[in-house]
Amino acid sequence: MSDGARIVGSGEARYVRHPSVERRTETFIAEAVMEALDDAGIPLTEVDGFAVSSFSLQPDHAIDLMWKLGISARWTMEDTNGGASAVNMLQHAMRAIEAGDAETIVIASGDRMEKREFHLMTDQYNKVARDYLAPLPLNGPNALFAFLTQRYAKQESLTQADFACIPLAQRAWATKNPGAVYRKPMTLDDYLSSVPIAPPLTRFDCVPIVSGGNAIVVTSAEKAAKLGAPSVGIRAIRASYNPDHQDGDGLTTGFADIRDDLWTAAGCRPEDVDGAWIYDDYPVMVLVQLQNLGLIPDGDVSRYLNQTILEDAWPVNTSGGQLSAGQAGAAGGLHGMVESVRQLRGVAGERQVPDAQLGLVTGYGMVLYTHGSCHNAAILERIG
Amino acid sequence: MSSHFVVAKCRSCGYLAYPPRIACPTCGSLEFRRQVLDQGTVTEVTTRRPVNKRRQLPWGNWLDQHATRLATITSDLGPRIVALVPEGVDVGDRVTLRSQASTAIALPGQVVAGQPLLPGGTVGDGGPGIGTPLSDYPGRK
Repeated sequence: MSDGARIVGSGEARYVRHPSVERRTETFIAEAVMEALDDAGIPLTEVDGFAVSSFSLQPDHAIDLMWKLGISARWTMEDTNGGASAVNMLQHAMRAIEAGDAETIVIASGDRMEKREFHLMTDQYNKVARDYLAPLPLNGPNALFAFLTQRYAKQESLTQADFACIPLAQRAWATKNPGAVYRKPMTLDDYLSSVPIAPPLTRFDCVPIVSGGNAIVVTSAEKAAKLGAPSVGIRAIRASYNPDHQDGDGLTTGFADIRDDLWTAAGCRPEDVDGAWIYDDYPVMVLVQLQNLGLIPDGDVSRYLNQTILEDAWPVNTSGGQLSAGQAGAAGGLHGMVESVRQLRGVAGERQVPDAQLGLVTGYGMVLYTHGSCHNAAILERIG
Repeated sequence: MSSHFVVAKCRSCGYLAYPPRIACPTCGSLEFRRQVLDQGTVTEVTTRRPVNKRRQLPWGNWLDQHATRLATITSDLGPRIVALVPEGVDVGDRVTLRSQASTAIALPGQVVAGQPLLPGGTVGDGGPGIGTPLSDYPGRK
């Protein structure tokens, strides 16, 4: 447990499919930051650290955003790791606060992301995407995750209806989240009859592209105690970057490497957590992460999907996740963390998990060639 | 039209890198030579639905969008290659890897991986370009 740092507030700029012309990346990030500070009860003038992750800030950087937001600080960072950016920024912010380099850090992310921006981003995601994948034409990462889904289906003997459990369960959560872009209840028939995007992936296996922003406020334990409201402590954070040089199958990931160390450092077991907020770019990766981190104890993935996830509605991605709430570019990395903080602080409204004390939050992403290369996870705990 | 499919081979330990790297991840050597990689087996296939009818590539070319058949090829020498495959090629099939530097098209019965499409290179110089419907490839009846 970090003795020094607590998460005391969270915010989300309302996700939208088609933003109006005057709403820019900065607009979404600013809204999320202000909401998070409001939630924490901390004035902007007391912020002395700022971290941001965004695909569409250029040519601006963190410092330009600080200026525009009116933040003067003694600590800053900018993260480029997309889906893995939130846990990474939290890891750095926590250490900065422990070391006394800063006391109150805002961690933010956001993107104005429409179809054209999305394609430009994926075609130039990195040099390999630009030179070796985009010219095929690959047209975004869907085909790569169709391959991983096929591979995992074969490995675990899963059917299309098994995979459907993830989008179906998350949609059920989304019906209780006014901030999700898709909230209409969904049936297995809706899923099976939907448009094939890259078989076996259907439209409901691919995140809807949205614009939005997310933010959390991290401060010292001392200051958190003075605020009086419940806060969130950080039991442990572990990460694994580029563990296999893309030579692996993408199914046994860096999460398997960090599993034992993560639970030991956190002083708890997978069965102790009250919910999981797993980076959900595709259903297959939700499963791979849960399995690699030890949350499917008997190894029976089909049973876990149909029983634990769908029937028992064990809390995974209680906002509806990116699959129903939407993927706001790099804000997708913070989306699950914001939801976990809401749940652990007891402010998740209609979808509140009763007595949520311990949560698992993961980050995954940055496809180098065939699969993601960044894996990180945090165990968070309600304090007060 | 197409050429040998080539990967980087570490001069010191033989590690095969595709796409190429600066340093060998197993022995740290900085010296690589070229290695032809031509035989492999299809391990996964998908047909990616066109997303937009027409869109512009980052370097300016316009691309007509059609459904594209893509596959993971597990090469006999190890590396997994993401490739464009002709219709009819399916999981378990043995294939020959080829590459076409400037147009990246698939010849019937062969597989073309994503070698660089050179910035400014024209799409479809004499042959079908990227995004040509698979049924229009030369020799396909």
